[in-house]
Amino acid sequence: MTQKTIQVTPSRCVGCLNCELACASRDWGQYYPAGSKINLVFFKDGGQVPVTCFQCDEAPCLKVCQTGALSRNETTGVISPDPERCVGCRTCVSVCPFGNINYSKVGRRVEKCDQCQGQPRCAAVCPSGALAYVDDAKIVRERRRAFAESFKEVVKEVFK
Amino acid sequence: MPHTLPKVTGTIDGLKFEVSPGTTLLEAAKTLGITIPTLCHHPGLPPDGNCRLCLVESGKKLLPSCVFPLRESGGAFSTQSPMVFEARAFVVTLLLSRAPKDKNLLKLAEVYGAQADPLLSDGEDGCLRCARCVRACRAGGSEAIALIGRSRERKVAGPFFEPPIDCVGCLACARSCPTGVIAFGEEPRSIWGRDFDLVKCPRCGRPIGTPEELKRAGLTDPLCPDCRRREFSASLLELPEASFTGY
Repeated sequence: MTQKTIQVTPSRCVGCLNCELACASRDWGQYYPAGSKINLVFFKDGGQVPVTCFQCDEAPCLKVCQTGALSRNETTGVISPDPERCVGCRTCVSVCPFGNINYSKVGRRVEKCDQCQGQPRCAAVCPSGALAYVDDAKIVRERRRAFAESFKEVVKEVFK
Repeated sequence: MPHTLPKVTGTIDGLKFEVSPGTTLLEAAKTLGITIPTLCHHPGLPPDGNCRLCLVESGKKLLPSCVFPLRESGGAFSTQSPMVFEARAFVVTLLLSRAPKDKNLLKLAEVYGAQADPLLSDGEDGCLRCARCVRACRAGGSEAIALIGRSRERKVAGPFFEPPIDCVGCLACARSCPTGVIAFGEEPRSIWGRDFDLVKCPRCGRPIGTPEELKRAGLTDPLCPDCRRREFSASLLELPEASFTGY
């Protein structure tokens, strides 16, 4: 079974905020940036990074949740929140190393990316390919090729 | 093939259910799409059977469905019988004597034709003594509050009715209260008569949480979630974090 991941390529991001818009409108029905589970971080010297939950293997949020409000789908590897089970202790918010889980005081529920249960809207609306919903295996292949390309130069130097 | 216990079967309101043994009657009803009214039940917390609103009938006997585990097949339960209706109306009347202004309760009072009885008036402090707060506290790893006393004296409080020393100020109790009567302050943080310090993010100065809360989460050098996100993003672009401009 292949697992799919939202692949983030910061160099491709144009900063249009379509992903935040699409994400927030799913749960809130309007553009409510605080309710978005994907966030753009902008930098002066050029560049912006869309960040969202990485669905960590050793997920700290999942470890600290005592009420079962966070659970992992063993097939897809995605950690989904169950607002009904959340008591609002916000320990998951404190322990996330990347700041990618949020407690909404307005909605009285924990909010995190669940990859829209297999059809992430953020990746669908991204115009530049900075966000792509792809197989894990494909990402590994691409990275292997990139490394091999860089290695090729070195090999040429040595064996010419 | 893992060994599985035989399923428990029976009927609720004439509809047949088939669930794993140990499933509560309330959960079984949910699988059939039957809604049983609840107040003290919280899907994330162990059931306690305190409010008695989820009573159902089984052979002229009333059972609290949230704490009734199904173990034997052949049970026939009714969630709509006159006996259930009457019992729930009485439960709502009793609960109204404690929380006469609660919206959910007033809705239920309309459904079951119940009215607050002035003779039963019991402080009207809005607390149902359902112990959702107590269970939420325990789930979080603290045991700061408990139900103290019996009968009319019964109430939720810290040890010796003093501000609880084990409280970390996470506010889970107040957030899981079905009537929302637990008084708390977010910034500055205060609850159960205790005032808490708030740890500020060393980068942006926004409050992150109480020192006790962060200790419970095992955090030593905390940043606020926004600054953590920023730090990570800057490391991706190999930029100094100072070049951050906004979200």
